[in-house]
Amino acid sequence: MKRRWSILTTSLLLSLSLLVAACSSTPASQAPQGESKPTENKPAEPAKTASTTPADTLFVGITADQGTLDPAVTFDNSAWKITYPTYQRLVEYDGGTTEVKPGLAKEWKVSEDGLTWTFTLAEGNKFADDTPVTAEAVKFTFDRTLKIKKGPADVYSVIKEVKVDSPTSVTFVLSKNFPPFLSTLAANYGGIVNPKVLEKEQNGDLGQNFLANNTMGSGPYQLTEWRKGEYIKLAASPNSSVKPALQNIFFKIIPDATAQRLQLEQGEIDIAEGIPNEQIKALKENPSVDVLQQPSLFVDYIYVNSSKGNPALQNPKVRQALSYAIDYDALTESVQEGYATQMRGPIPKGLWGYDESAPQYKRDVEKAKALLAEAGAANLTIDLLYSDNKAWWETEALALQAFFSDIGVKLNLKKIAYATSREMIDKGEFDLAMGVWSPDFGDPYMFMNYWFDSVNFGLAGNRAFYKNDKVDELVRKAASINDKAEREKLYKEAQLIVIDEAPYLYLYQKDFLLPVSKSVKGFVYNPMLEGIYNLAEMSK
Amino acid sequence: MRQIIVKRLSMLVLVLLGVTLITFFLSHVIPGDPARMMVGQRASEETLQEVRRQLGLDQPVWVQYFTYMQGLLAGDFGDSIRTQQPVVDDLIKFFPATLELALTAFVIAIVIGIPIGILSAVKKDTGWDHAGRFFSIAGISTPVFWSGLIGILVFYKFFDLLPSSGRIDLTVPPPPTITGLFLFDSLVTGNWAAFGNSLWHLVLPAATLAFAQLAIVTRQVRASMLEVLGQEYIRTALANGIHGPVLLFRYALRNALIPTITVVGLSFGSLLGGAVVTETIFSWPGMGKYVVESIAFLDFPAIMGFTFVISFGYVIINLLVDLTYYALDPQIKE
Repeated sequence: MKRRWSILTTSLLLSLSLLVAACSSTPASQAPQGESKPTENKPAEPAKTASTTPADTLFVGITADQGTLDPAVTFDNSAWKITYPTYQRLVEYDGGTTEVKPGLAKEWKVSEDGLTWTFTLAEGNKFADDTPVTAEAVKFTFDRTLKIKKGPADVYSVIKEVKVDSPTSVTFVLSKNFPPFLSTLAANYGGIVNPKVLEKEQNGDLGQNFLANNTMGSGPYQLTEWRKGEYIKLAASPNSSVKPALQNIFFKIIPDATAQRLQLEQGEIDIAEGIPNEQIKALKENPSVDVLQQPSLFVDYIYVNSSKGNPALQNPKVRQALSYAIDYDALTESVQEGYATQMRGPIPKGLWGYDESAPQYKRDVEKAKALLAEAGAANLTIDLLYSDNKAWWETEALALQAFFSDIGVKLNLKKIAYATSREMIDKGEFDLAMGVWSPDFGDPYMFMNYWFDSVNFGLAGNRAFYKNDKVDELVRKAASINDKAEREKLYKEAQLIVIDEAPYLYLYQKDFLLPVSKSVKGFVYNPMLEGIYNLAEMSK
Repeated sequence: MRQIIVKRLSMLVLVLLGVTLITFFLSHVIPGDPARMMVGQRASEETLQEVRRQLGLDQPVWVQYFTYMQGLLAGDFGDSIRTQQPVVDDLIKFFPATLELALTAFVIAIVIGIPIGILSAVKKDTGWDHAGRFFSIAGISTPVFWSGLIGILVFYKFFDLLPSSGRIDLTVPPPPTITGLFLFDSLVTGNWAAFGNSLWHLVLPAATLAFAQLAIVTRQVRASMLEVLGQEYIRTALANGIHGPVLLFRYALRNALIPTITVVGLSFGSLLGGAVVTETIFSWPGMGKYVVESIAFLDFPAIMGFTFVISFGYVIINLLVDLTYYALDPQIKE
């Protein structure tokens, strides 16, 4: 008994001593604190007004850790902020536009029928390990992506063959004409991978396991450290032809929005990605922070199930009535604090093919009621499916419920788990459902063909299960020719039909908002590369 | 005693088997397709089927379970769908962070909670008692996301005394991994910079978590102390001239601790699995955050691995709690 008693006392004493240690942390912590924030002890300026981080290092607050970083696997835009600056592509997006400019390829030509694309590589580009980027590496990259057969392979399924003509010339043979092809090469999955990745191959995975955690590209940066759940560090690649001002980039994982905001205000991070709109206004008043605001190509819209849901919705008049019920200005104000622009049709402003003169729905309760009466759909009750995928959907659902009740339509809100909602949308088990969309490449194809071509029923893109033979014909034709002016004409014609028939409620395109420390310079926003930084051109 | 341990450990196998079975089938009947999460929404049916095949999702569920269990017996939790890394590697990275946070919070809760509980019981219905109860009730009724943020606001923003996120500064190299507990590893290797820095990072999140747990300890200690102090043997002891600390600690507290240990032990289990909010607010790279991200991605292997580890921890804690009974109360013998 005595012995047991002493065990208990010892353990109590031990825990006490731990607590004492915890309480007396001040002296122990002095040193590291000084180390980590060297400028903080300077008395003159409070930390809040100047960046306390080193000038050659950028700290970006991100909200979640990344999944795989393999360009042949990842389809997650958030991973692209790491991979995009670590790889180079044959062509790159030009500044802030959706057009492309030469990248690894200094020039290219396409055959008359659009089936053969030949690229001439610029000399002097090297992977991080000093291996030169050759036509062989380009072929390797695309062959690898197609062999791995994951998401990105789908985008390049049009490639029949990649041929090496010479060390600096490579030819892609396509199985059919695909006008957006060039644009897909500028996307993340077009990143050219060092063929030496095969040395890291395990069980015939073509290096997937290795590239999930590492980068092997020729971009100005390379991944040098990844502490899971804490941060991802990029450092300037020694062998890149580009010599950036920022030598180190830390992507710091800070899931909580308020914590991110405080760290930005304290100068501990330079960019905060996870600040919701309702906190943006307060941040704008902070003298050391800039809030960048640009229209984005990210759209928020409602799928109106035009063939598989409530039969009333098969009548275009009912869909129009719903479109007329919405007060778009009030919606963007309440849901996005006004940081959004009402859509005019499927193609968002900022992408070619956008039609300034197309009609736009405005709230008109009388007209909506009349349309419902004409369609014989008074006292309509429909369901709205949504999930917790986007924080603002809850507010949006309530707003829509109120708008629809004004025209006598009862809207039942059905909120379910994100993964489940995707299954239901894929199968068409809904009346109305909330969704978002952003383009992978800078071509109206991303909206018009995905959303309206009836071969894309389901999650693939035509989530309204909408079928119109004329629209099918127009968008397919537009996807088969290379004459941009002609394509634009076809898309505009199709757009007028789908605006009128309203298989979607075209709500708004969100603004891109990014709180950035005033000390950060040179960031150029490209709507095709949302969340991706042109790190090599930035400085502090 | 040895017999009991052996028996309990063999029960552990059954419990874990049941847990894997339930979690596996539950997570597989939930609608939702991880292959779809992986290939992106716009993928074609062919690509989708191919990825399903690669992940083994095209097999019947019981075949998948069998394959999974085969791997598990060999210590292989499978590969995470989201990170494409072995789940074991991920768990090894994240579990120690959670354990370190939970242990520290637990110790703080006990070291502060037990004295407050005793004080409340001894000075029942006085100002001390009210103050102690108010303090602990405030802790349990304050949501962690709020108290955590207030902590950050005060100690990080206003006074700039404590860091607001992470386990250690980006500029301080973490200690070499022995247990994965930064405090322990840095102490063992004599790495004082890392020790001080990680301790400095631990203070706020651990205090926040402990504050929320405090009431469980104080209320339990207070209640059982009151009960014990009212018993006859205490009166007898008093009559025999035993009083003060000896009476309190040697005669009363010891008996009062038995029910406390059950409650507190189980609350430690929930600390392990339930520190998600604290981990999120303080950007603490622990398992809670990991599993939440995994659930959102329908990352079955990761969810299974997490559940397995947590159940394992729970069973072990339960066993420890029971063993402590034996140590405290010689009467409990089977």
